Amino acid sequence: MLNLELVVLATLLGGVVAYLLSMINKRVGSAVTILVSGAVFSLLAYYGFGNSIDQTVELIPNFVMFKVTALGTFFAVLVSFVFFMVSFFNPFFAERYKYPNAFNLLYLMTLAGVVGVFYASNFITLFVFFELVVWTSMFLIPMGKGTKASITYFVFSTVGSFAMLYAIIFMAVGFGTTDIDTVLAGLTGTAALIVYGLLLVASFAKLGAYPFMVWLPKVLGNAPDPVSAVFSGGIEKMGAFIAVLAMIKISPASAMFEAVGLPVQNYIVGVIAAVTIIVGTMMAIRQDDAKKLLAYSSAANGGYILLAFTIGNSVAITGGFFHIFAHALASTAAFLAIGVVTYRTKTSKISELGGMIHHMPITYVVYLAAIISMAGIPPMGGFISKWLIFQALIQNNLVFLATAAFIGSIGSFLYVFRPLAALFLGQKLPKYKDVKEAPLLMLIPMIILTLLSVVAGVFPTLFLPMINNIMTELGFQTLMTSGFQIIGFNGTLDPALVAAVFGTGVLVVFILFMIFPKSRKVGLMDTYTGGEFIYTEELLHYSADFYAPLERLYRKEPFVNKIYDSIRIKVEELGAFVRYFFFTNKPEVTVFWIVAILLFIVWGDII
Amino acid sequence: MAVLLIAIPLLFAFVSILNKKYAFYLLALVAAFNFVFSFFLEKGMYSIGGFGPFGINLLVDQYALIGLWLLNGLFFLTVMINLKASKKLATVLIVLLAGINGLLLTNDLFNLFVFLEITGISAYLLTTENKKPVSSFNYLVQGTVGSGLYLLGLVILYSMIGTLNMSDVISRIYTIGATPTTLLLPFMLMFIGLGVEAKLLPFNSWVKGVLEKAKPLSGTLVSSVIAGTILLVFGRLLTTVMVISNADMLITIILIATIIAGEVAAFKSTRIREILLFSSIGQAGLVVYLFTHGLLMQGVLLIIANVLSKFVLFTIGASLAEAAGDEVEELRGAFKNNKLLGIGFTVAALSVTGLPLFFGFVVKLNVLLGIFGSYDLITPIIILVVSLIEGVYFIKLLMKLWYGESNVQIKNVLMTVSVLSVAVVLIVLGVYYQPMMDLVAPIKDEMIMIIQGGSF
Repeated sequence: MLNLELVVLATLLGGVVAYLLSMINKRVGSAVTILVSGAVFSLLAYYGFGNSIDQTVELIPNFVMFKVTALGTFFAVLVSFVFFMVSFFNPFFAERYKYPNAFNLLYLMTLAGVVGVFYASNFITLFVFFELVVWTSMFLIPMGKGTKASITYFVFSTVGSFAMLYAIIFMAVGFGTTDIDTVLAGLTGTAALIVYGLLLVASFAKLGAYPFMVWLPKVLGNAPDPVSAVFSGGIEKMGAFIAVLAMIKISPASAMFEAVGLPVQNYIVGVIAAVTIIVGTMMAIRQDDAKKLLAYSSAANGGYILLAFTIGNSVAITGGFFHIFAHALASTAAFLAIGVVTYRTKTSKISELGGMIHHMPITYVVYLAAIISMAGIPPMGGFISKWLIFQALIQNNLVFLATAAFIGSIGSFLYVFRPLAALFLGQKLPKYKDVKEAPLLMLIPMIILTLLSVVAGVFPTLFLPMINNIMTELGFQTLMTSGFQIIGFNGTLDPALVAAVFGTGVLVVFILFMIFPKSRKVGLMDTYTGGEFIYTEELLHYSADFYAPLERLYRKEPFVNKIYDSIRIKVEELGAFVRYFFFTNKPEVTVFWIVAILLFIVWGDII
Repeated sequence: MAVLLIAIPLLFAFVSILNKKYAFYLLALVAAFNFVFSFFLEKGMYSIGGFGPFGINLLVDQYALIGLWLLNGLFFLTVMINLKASKKLATVLIVLLAGINGLLLTNDLFNLFVFLEITGISAYLLTTENKKPVSSFNYLVQGTVGSGLYLLGLVILYSMIGTLNMSDVISRIYTIGATPTTLLLPFMLMFIGLGVEAKLLPFNSWVKGVLEKAKPLSGTLVSSVIAGTILLVFGRLLTTVMVISNADMLITIILIATIIAGEVAAFKSTRIREILLFSSIGQAGLVVYLFTHGLLMQGVLLIIANVLSKFVLFTIGASLAEAAGDEVEELRGAFKNNKLLGIGFTVAALSVTGLPLFFGFVVKLNVLLGIFGSYDLITPIIILVVSLIEGVYFIKLLMKLWYGESNVQIKNVLMTVSVLSVAVVLIVLGVYYQPMMDLVAPIKDEMIMIIQGGSF
């Protein structure tokens, strides 16, 4: 039996140990993070799937109560796995941080908080650990570039957290308890809708759904690379967890949108999810910085997850959980691959790179597999989840949402192709001719993640039991499978067969490649100009402005940023007004106000 | 016995005037004595001079004890940290100590006025160390106007009900049958009088002048120790003495305006001491709001959290500002070479913002549960929005202080040690908060017993 509170406390203690050891030697401290996160993952996976986690709490004060559920175990194992894989990168990036000791401490504290969120039994515990993750991860962000990103993150995260806090206290005062299952099951009527809305605001803020998408590219673009990977693969999944609580555990009864057979509020959430997908995809297509591109991609995939949960039947929900799983693996692998590039070349701007495949072939394969999974192409895990979601969308006649999802899928192929073609393939730049492959310790997690993605795509039924446990717990039917095949509404998917066809295709092309004569290598600067001499070869390098014709269609920025800026300016103006009016150097102002209030009282009109 | 807490400082204040050379040692001795002696007090009502029901009473209950322990302790620490400044102002500080203890202990309204004046005058004199005579003068004028109004209200009340003993006021009001309308004027005068000192909105223009260039000694004492005392006194009056239910709307407007104005003004500020002082104003508004709505325990918890956090924040903030300049832009990266101070500051700032693992979070959760418990659905929204704004400016401040290229270095071992110990207390109380809850639990029952029975 594994005592859960000991896991949380040991992780926190491990953070302190990492801090102290980092003061002696940075690499040793980072090694502690690897060991602790690895221990957390393996213990949770082993005991969690064996159903023998002990949830009693003795040491921590008794507002913290844990409950072991299949849902919590799924998320906790997945996210701790992400943390474990990313921690392999910590020793290498340690010297680039301003406060490396604090980094290791905060990394492990974030992990402890995340585990606490997923296993929380009452809402107060959930909120405590949720906020803990917010502030510990917030201090990790500025160790990269600039400090403004962490403030943006704090604002949006706190908007979500406070919406959730209002809902929690609303329920606490109404029900007298904050136990999650009791409270969510007992909500009815308008109260249910209010709580549903507030919890979804929290979920949108964490996932980066449309109105709150602003923080994702800023944070993931400016944070250090391991932190970006952890955010995209781990912390955003907390948003998905809250979405599950809101959408699946509360089912507010309200008007049905007859045309599509969904309740109105679900459809509204679906529309928001669809907008997220499209905006995320479009913004990703025009990014030049690989990390911001992946950030928008994370937001778009968050939209897919929300879309899956709004539809609400067993195929869609299984698809949603599988997408959480596949996206976590793929996005972490992609961020880690870009992390390797940044580690070796100190930049992640696509227009400044090119031809990295020659220097780091394994990283290239990892990145290729990751983006194939994110675009939803077989034989990777992302294909299975998208197949399930599309099945559900079509079955429920959700025409507009399905169109958005398909556009998102095609768009995702466009944006994943850009870094691939421009960063890894393409022309080598002379200044990077000494770049080497990633060190072994960095290669290990990337290869593991890739292999898992492939296995998830070829034999998804291996991972289905873990999701089926959740489905049974939530009261839905599990997905029907037969052998290694998945049975959906409109047909049967045989992933092994699809992978085999894919593999055969690759083999055929490879044979052809071997047979035909090879191409001739030329240098980068060997471009055609029709007789003119070139002074700025970089602009003619085909990584610059990759999708220019498409990007010109929507050159203006989305307007949401301007709204947030104007809110901030209005608050500042209110502050200036208050300072001018009330905080002057003249005591006569105070005396004036005193007299005014006394007159008001003595006049007695209102009273 | 409790009177020693007031008498000894006053006595030694006179002695220290006669003997300026040893003034500082007397100060240290008296402060230490007060802190230690406050742990040996027994609860009860102490009559001074034996003038029967007309005389001065001192009341020692859980509420007073919490205030005494906390504020005497912090006073001692503040004085010890700022040795040089304390040496110059030793007499004033001893008188201030007497005033603070008197405010917390007294059970008589006129005695309260006396100690209010004593504390006020020492505070005005204390702020002269900032070398800004106009601001000190403004503080003097506004404080005196406030005390004068309080006295006026007091006189009207006395003429109405014939007693000045705080525990007797409510029972006399019942026997006389005075209506809330007639009582409104004196109590509102007293409210406004105390409101000036407690930093409520239309009356607090002195705060900016006094605290914006405050040195570590006067700034910390005014914003942490004196503020805590005044708020505790205000709390006791609002709960056991004042009947101002008719002016509910007016008071709510004043308080909500204070909360919003304080936080919004801090959002706009770019100087570290201004940010901290506006944050104090906002929190003071929230504390008085809790007291006026009967949430006594939450109010006391918030006072404790604020006093501890502001002690840390102001000590470090004022020291940094004195060392390297007030604008936060000039202080960028100040914690690079002062990591321990930075950790203490960060802990206190996160506690004020209400993030978990810190005491401020426990307090905020209790506050929100209390307000929701009275079925008020709009005020929590206001408080949450204001908390968001507060969080944003504190995080902006923290980020700028940690990431930059400043070379400031502050070497004061006692400051580092005390700041870190308070930070540790905030963290421990954030997780194991039960002892603090047990400490404040008896307050409400004792107050009820006092009102009903006159003693306990």
